Amino acid sequence: MTNTIEVENLTKVFGRPESGVVAVDHINFCVRQGEVFGFLGPNGAGKTTTQRMLTTLLEPTEGRIVTFGYDLEHDAYPVKRQMGLVPEEANVYTELTAWDNLMFTAQLYRVERAERASRARELLENFGLWEKRDVKAQDFSKGMRRRLSIAMAIIHKPALLFLDEPTPGLDAQSGRAIRDLIRQLNAEGTTIFLTTHQIEEANQLCDRVAIIDHGQIAAIDTPERLKAAFQRVQSVEVALEPDGGAHGDALAALPGATTSVKMGDKWRLYTEDPSTLLPRVMDYARLHELRVVSLSTLGPSLEDVFLEITGQQVGTVRHEEGEGRPQRQGMRDRMGGGR
Amino acid sequence: MKDEGMGRLRNELAEAWTVTIKDMKVYYLKPGMIMFGFLMPFFMFFSFSVQRDMAAEQGVARLLALTLFFTAAAAGPFIIPMERRLGTYDRLLAAPMSLLTLLLGKTAVGALFAIGTSTFALLVGVLAFGVNIAQPWLLVAGMILGAFSFSALGLIFGSIPTRNPGDVQMPSTLLRWGLLFISGVFISLADMGALARALAYISPLTYAQDLMNHAVLGHGLLNPWLDLTVLLASGVLFLVPSVLMHRRGRKLGY
Repeated sequence: MTNTIEVENLTKVFGRPESGVVAVDHINFCVRQGEVFGFLGPNGAGKTTTQRMLTTLLEPTEGRIVTFGYDLEHDAYPVKRQMGLVPEEANVYTELTAWDNLMFTAQLYRVERAERASRARELLENFGLWEKRDVKAQDFSKGMRRRLSIAMAIIHKPALLFLDEPTPGLDAQSGRAIRDLIRQLNAEGTTIFLTTHQIEEANQLCDRVAIIDHGQIAAIDTPERLKAAFQRVQSVEVALEPDGGAHGDALAALPGATTSVKMGDKWRLYTEDPSTLLPRVMDYARLHELRVVSLSTLGPSLEDVFLEITGQQVGTVRHEEGEGRPQRQGMRDRMGGGR
Repeated sequence: MKDEGMGRLRNELAEAWTVTIKDMKVYYLKPGMIMFGFLMPFFMFFSFSVQRDMAAEQGVARLLALTLFFTAAAAGPFIIPMERRLGTYDRLLAAPMSLLTLLLGKTAVGALFAIGTSTFALLVGVLAFGVNIAQPWLLVAGMILGAFSFSALGLIFGSIPTRNPGDVQMPSTLLRWGLLFISGVFISLADMGALARALAYISPLTYAQDLMNHAVLGHGLLNPWLDLTVLLASGVLFLVPSVLMHRRGRKLGY
């Protein structure tokens, strides 16, 4: 399979190379033609910095980016022609109408004159903005601006589309519409580079994901393989009555449970072996005369994988000793940490 | 290969023009900006000419130079930092055009605005005061090259790596007012001492004023070809620091 993007030893240091802040630290990966590639990481991990280097907006300190076979630092023009960019903040011209925004971008990308109007109309209709085509973007909602921003990024039918956090802050309907659009564009052959910290979004959309943390690639693989590699973060979820919320510490202390996390009216108990833990949870409920409202076993979610790799545990009652960087290093070694 | 190069050049020119038209629509063709363009030169002119015994032709020559100087860089220094802040500048930087093309598009819009407003000032001079233009072709060439040079000068400040338009206001205003007073606008070159004249020769406004004197009055102190050459060369030279600062901005993440 052909690679659309190849990244070698990409590094960005803000400030002096020897003493500055290392935002991206010698990362290697490739994005295959036709895939949706997710780039996940916590805030400040280096996601947007990497994307800005891939889209020529930021000069790397070190390393090489080859896109469509062109070295980006020396021959960006043919790459830019085939590339679309949707930044985190919808960067539409608020003083222009939706129609004028699209016409401007179409002209900037030299879309054929005969094609411009029909393409703009098609996009505005698909994005539910046709009725608002003559309205200035300053009167648009956040979701409408985001949709317009995406329409502007794809009016020239790019072969590669970069999306930076496309859905946060949007209502459920707008978020879903954008996810559907990403699927549709990908089905039509567009390679998608999706930067996100929305793990479930990456899980739903991406063929492969890279997890970046502290400027380094911690893991790259398909979501399912990443989850399979983390069988030790399987869990048992239990809701108890009465006073179910009070049993977290005791549940976490059950043999086989590594961590307990309160999830609304339930407790999620992380374990390497759910089959051993399940009967112990039932025994605990019987012993304390509690009613088991619900009990289920769960495989590791991509969020669990992400949290394990990045060393984040939200709402944790008990942490395993030794979690964190050394474990992530082990994971990086296991997953290849690159191509 | 040659055809490919020509195609690229055509594309780049068209893209620069697209940026020019967009900026014109978004920033310049606004009521406030138009009022500024029309009124500012007249305020400037009356501020420095009341109670002075000055012929109409002399006044119009001065008015044209001032209009070109102040309107060409009226908005240019502030647009790029503002676009950086709004994220719209990324759209331009990621578009398939060279940095020089983008800067030419940005320069052209300021120049066109200056040409438009100075044409209005010229019409007022011709229609209201019956001023005759001695050398029309020099006037046209001077307006175009002067507007280009002053717009490119303003773009230097817009290229400072910042997202805050306020950061460019002070240096931009200081330099423009400094140039205004050392140039031969209020005191003619012929009346200046050697040191003052040496200073005046640093400023492109001196050459624009001399050219307007040639065009409107029919005589100036310097060779008009020298004036034209300096304005063209200074416009091109002013693009160099803009390119360098943009490259620095790309390193810093602006």
